[in-house]
Amino acid sequence: MNAARRARLASVVRKELTQFLRDRVMLLLVVYLYTGEVIMCTMALSFDVRNLPTAVADFDRSPQSRMLIDRFGSSGYFTIEHRVTREADLAGLLNSGKALAAVVIPPDFSRRLVRGEPGSVQLVLDGSNANTATVAQGYAQRIVQSFAMEQIGAAAPSMSLPIDYRPRIWYNSQLRYSYFMLLSMIASAGMVVGVITTAASIVREKESGTIEQLMVTPITSAELIGAKMLPTLLVCLLGLVLSLFVAAGFGVPMRGSLVLYFALSSLFLMSSMGVGILVGTLTQTLQQALLISLFALFPILFLSGTMVPLESMPAWLQYAALFSPVTHYMDVLRGIFLKGVGLTVLWPQALAMTVIGGVLLGGSLWRFRRG
Amino acid sequence: MKTLVGAVVWKEVREIRRDPVTMFVAIALPLVMLYLFGSALSLDVKNAPMAVYDLDRSADSRDLIAAFPHSGYFGRVHGIGQESEIGALLDRGKARLVLVIPPDFSERLARGETASLQALIDGSFSATAMVIAGYATAIVQDYSAKRVAKTREPGHATHGPLIQVEGRVWFNAPLKSVYYIVPGLFGVILMAFPPLLTALAVVREKESGSVQQIFVSPIRPWQFIAGKMIPYAVIAFLEMVMILVPGLLWFGVPFQGSFALFLGATLLYVSCTVALGLLVSTVTRSQLVAMLLAIMVTLMPAFLFSGFLFPIFTMPWTMQLYTHLLPARYFVVISRDIAMKGVGLEVWWPQLAALAAYTFVVFAAASLLFRKKVA
Amino acid sequence: MEREAPVIEAVGLTKVYGTRKAVDDVSLAISRGEVFGLIGSDGAGKTTILQILAGILDPNAGRAVVLGYDSVRDATAINSRIGYMSQIFSLYGRLTVEENLDFFADLHRVPEPAKNDRKARLLEFARLERYRARLAKNLSGGMKKKLALCCALIHEPPLLLLDEPTTGVDPVSRREFWNILYQTLAGGTTIVVCTPYMDEAERCTRVALMHAGHLIACDAPRKLRERMSGTMLELTVRPQRAALSALRAAYPATRPYASGDRIHLRVDDRGLDEGEMRAMLERAATVLDNLTTVAPSLEDVFVTALPESVAPPVAIAPERIATRSGSAVETRDLTVKFGAFTAVDRVTLNVRRGEIFGFLGPNGSGKTTTIRVLCGLLAPSSGQALVAGHAVAKEPTAVKSRIGYMSQRFSLYDDLTVDENIRFFAGAYGVTQERLSARREWALDLSGLRGQEVLLTRSLSGGIKQRLALACAVLHEPEVLFLDEPTAGVDPVSRRRFWELINSLSDQGVTVFVTTHYMDEAEHCHTLALLYYGRMIALGSPESLRTQMRAGEMLELECDQPIAALAHFQGVPNVRASFFGDRLHLLVDDAQAARPWIVEQLAKAGHEVRRIERVPLSIEDVFIAFIEMEQERAAANASRAQQAA
Repeated sequence: MNAARRARLASVVRKELTQFLRDRVMLLLVVYLYTGEVIMCTMALSFDVRNLPTAVADFDRSPQSRMLIDRFGSSGYFTIEHRVTREADLAGLLNSGKALAAVVIPPDFSRRLVRGEPGSVQLVLDGSNANTATVAQGYAQRIVQSFAMEQIGAAAPSMSLPIDYRPRIWYNSQLRYSYFMLLSMIASAGMVVGVITTAASIVREKESGTIEQLMVTPITSAELIGAKMLPTLLVCLLGLVLSLFVAAGFGVPMRGSLVLYFALSSLFLMSSMGVGILVGTLTQTLQQALLISLFALFPILFLSGTMVPLESMPAWLQYAALFSPVTHYMDVLRGIFLKGVGLTVLWPQALAMTVIGGVLLGGSLWRFRRG
Repeated sequence: MKTLVGAVVWKEVREIRRDPVTMFVAIALPLVMLYLFGSALSLDVKNAPMAVYDLDRSADSRDLIAAFPHSGYFGRVHGIGQESEIGALLDRGKARLVLVIPPDFSERLARGETASLQALIDGSFSATAMVIAGYATAIVQDYSAKRVAKTREPGHATHGPLIQVEGRVWFNAPLKSVYYIVPGLFGVILMAFPPLLTALAVVREKESGSVQQIFVSPIRPWQFIAGKMIPYAVIAFLEMVMILVPGLLWFGVPFQGSFALFLGATLLYVSCTVALGLLVSTVTRSQLVAMLLAIMVTLMPAFLFSGFLFPIFTMPWTMQLYTHLLPARYFVVISRDIAMKGVGLEVWWPQLAALAAYTFVVFAAASLLFRKKVA
Repeated sequence: MEREAPVIEAVGLTKVYGTRKAVDDVSLAISRGEVFGLIGSDGAGKTTILQILAGILDPNAGRAVVLGYDSVRDATAINSRIGYMSQIFSLYGRLTVEENLDFFADLHRVPEPAKNDRKARLLEFARLERYRARLAKNLSGGMKKKLALCCALIHEPPLLLLDEPTTGVDPVSRREFWNILYQTLAGGTTIVVCTPYMDEAERCTRVALMHAGHLIACDAPRKLRERMSGTMLELTVRPQRAALSALRAAYPATRPYASGDRIHLRVDDRGLDEGEMRAMLERAATVLDNLTTVAPSLEDVFVTALPESVAPPVAIAPERIATRSGSAVETRDLTVKFGAFTAVDRVTLNVRRGEIFGFLGPNGSGKTTTIRVLCGLLAPSSGQALVAGHAVAKEPTAVKSRIGYMSQRFSLYDDLTVDENIRFFAGAYGVTQERLSARREWALDLSGLRGQEVLLTRSLSGGIKQRLALACAVLHEPEVLFLDEPTAGVDPVSRRRFWELINSLSDQGVTVFVTTHYMDEAEHCHTLALLYYGRMIALGSPESLRTQMRAGEMLELECDQPIAALAHFQGVPNVRASFFGDRLHLLVDDAQAARPWIVEQLAKAGHEVRRIERVPLSIEDVFIAFIEMEQERAAANASRAQQAA
């Protein structure tokens, strides 16, 4: 790079950094997204089933039934909040949402148990949230099964249950959704900041008329775009550091390499900024730029496996998600934080992000030169 | 001679008709959002990839394995030859569940003893991991139940009785995510677009300067706010009507309750969301800040914390308190109560009252904050 | 007879924004039926005062009573009773002309039958009747302002507050605008108007001169002029620029300045030797057409009343002087089309090095489009453009390093400081390290910002920003400078200073290509081109254009009741009468023949004629004549095409 180009680049970069750091609104947004939003969402959002308000109808009233109810109550998944004497009362509780589950123990429960005959327990579930209901069902089965194993051992020692089933959870033994949520929020923050700051930066020059001034100078389109990306990249890297602290605060393990974390995150940020720059070149006013950014961002953010797993989505959407850099970045984050894997496993994701970023930036450059 | 409010309404209507961007945002985008999110947001597990390390290779083990894809929840079953492959498959995400069947599986079963069975589950996405774990447990239980039933037949070793859990699901018997997501999604969509439109509407007037003519006129702040609210509330109401039918039809969502009640509640809700957008616009001067604020204050919280996707009852109590500040929270409850439970006012009147109070407060705040002064 | 209470009474008004006092202890009283003018430089506080009077801004101190209501406590009462036009258009672009009027009528509760009546009357008077159904955003600038005025008048308010209502509007629309105003005056309306145009200020009953938030003087124009000491000399001399430099060098204390196509200078009681001055002018190779003593105009009062602020611009110039001769800018049949719309229609011109070339025309004529083509920002549809000897289309980089550009909006970064802007543009243009500090010093001096380098550009006033933008555009010492409406929205004094800078640049060999819609700035240029909706309808030096256009001869008339006198000549064939300050200009075919007849007419009507004499046509007159000729040609073409079809 010759001296003239170096000097030009230096002055543009200096200008961009100065402007970026003076924009309080933007800075606040970036900081908030990497900290406040991450904390709030990680704390609050989960699909974990805990403390499900439960009603109980015990028609047996035996020591065994009471013990079973106790098991439900102390599992941490169900919280016994209502006890009813008539099954009809359950309707009111479920309808009003005061109880999301109900355990009904039939009158012959303990009798059958003592005699070694097969028995049953009824579980009524509010299916409004299907996921909660399904998971609750699974928990209930485990509780009842372990209860059964003990009781049968005592009541009918000659018999044994056919299968001793032991599931083990890898990577996230407590099945904490919060781990997952934190990573999603880090990915989302990078995407939002990358798109909006770069799009706004370009469109603002158009609106204030300074873009014409820039076009009349020897500054090339590539130099300008490169300079516009730098402040965002730096600030996001800082945000990534901050989020490491937040992750530690929530007890999310970091099992992989920090260097790889920053390297692949930078790759991701290049593609998110690519989207922003493309939007900036295509729009004329800030309002347009923001509207388009927003409505491009929304599906990308929520349908790239950040909230809901990809395999739950219809096939065509899964295919479309492959074009989103967030999808690949999520794999990277999960891989580095939770699984502790390296480039040998993550190279397809790195390649995908490189290709996406390259296409976007190339396209923006071409469009910018034309306009 | 029209009333002052009427004059503003007329002007706004004429402007909106000639603004293609607003029309697009108000009509096309809600439909797109409905379709995308309705299709994509689900936690139902189907065809989850799994693998099996079968050291037994007996008829019994094959029966057990076959039960998994047969259930519909699990997809192709990858056969594992060596133990070292297990780690690689899970690391790469190629299998969500790995079943390990020991070599003495069928032997022990034949003798009436307890056979052991191991499963390794990818917990990195815990929501579906729990569901997968639950399904696996159910499938194994089912298999066990069949074995126990067999013991009643002569010539078989005996196995002990099971206690089965009979599940009865109310309101959403098929347990499909989409049945509960779509009614909530209606609430989120109406919290996404109308506030954005109204926030921009006023800020545009500020930026173009036409608002100064409003200052220099006899109109009072509340009349101006009301005049802006009415046309956008009507548009938002029409948006709801427009997404209601496709939403229910596309996704086959059953609607148990009264449409009339639902639309009535909608009318109140949209007034609330539109008023929120106006409130945001009274405190900002630039379109950029108005949009960011509108999104941060309306769309993001509604999506994340209204309970439409992530359940509220699992949140820490401070966050649960926070959700009471979101109008979307109340509407999601009303919407689900009507659509899924088919219940009427007697159950959800508290939420309705909360929405009404909220609307009133926001309207009053916007009217007070809109000063007919330049600075 | 009881003295009527003043319509507006303001005492001790003060408004502070942060640390800056926008208005500082201003008091004034305005009576019914007055046309009250507020004039002053950019940032003087005129808009702030108007907003306070309208009740839409609360002062920090002092009070204003408008139509008997306090502007803070009873603002709504004021709001409903006045008409207000802000500096920005404030119409609803997506509503039609008629819908805009309807809305404002409804907003002010105009009853139904009266509404239709007034609408029809106003539209007809504003000549907008044909455009009833047109969307407001598709109107020209002049039409928008007229519509905005009609909207402010639809409820027939007793008080009108107008903030720079005619700025940036073509001269024909400007005249129509004032015609509407005169009509309403007949109904007893009181008008308060902010204007940067001196000739409009002359028409006011009383004028308030403001500067930096203070009220400097407030009185009828005539009294203000009388109060000025000394005598004003008016010289009609060609070429104006050379004469101006010579006079400045020889008689600096008289502060000579260009007033339209004349030069004014103030001579104190000692007087000066006329013969000596004539000799000096002849030595400077200029031709003196006329030298008279004139009663000072408002502009004279204004220019001399203002304190001599910041040191006059140091004429430090780029050392590199272009010694080559030949064309600096050349176009051949340059055409730019946007779809079916032709913005620039076969424009051919040739600008010599060191020349100041002026591109005039109303807004929307294609001036900006042409400049953008010349700077390489826009590709033409056909034709050629060469700048500094290089073809713009083929060698854009070679061109870019040799040109400087200043766009309409000054194109500085508002969120950077003065110093940061200078350094950025220096770096962007490749100013070398060795040259940087010298150029930076020069730029600070030029804009008068030495010692204030750390100020945010946003906080600078319009005139200063403009000079800074100019400095940033020439940091790299370009050969050709393109200026697109550099003085738009800037007050007359700053405009004048700016042109002095341009002149000094031109003197050092920089070619300046400038567009403007201020007709009086035309005099500063060596060569002028007039663009009218894409076509170049006139080309030449100011003098040659005057001789080209045999538009008639101009008589200047000073009488006791100019408004009534004007009314007298409306509708008289062969006489086109219009205002020029508080004097009348009458365009006739033969001045000598017409003069006695005019005097006779006025005498019969009982008017006293103080002075009537032949004067050269102003550039504005010349251009209006060119425009009218062009309009006739276009109409003839259209009817011929219609006949053929």
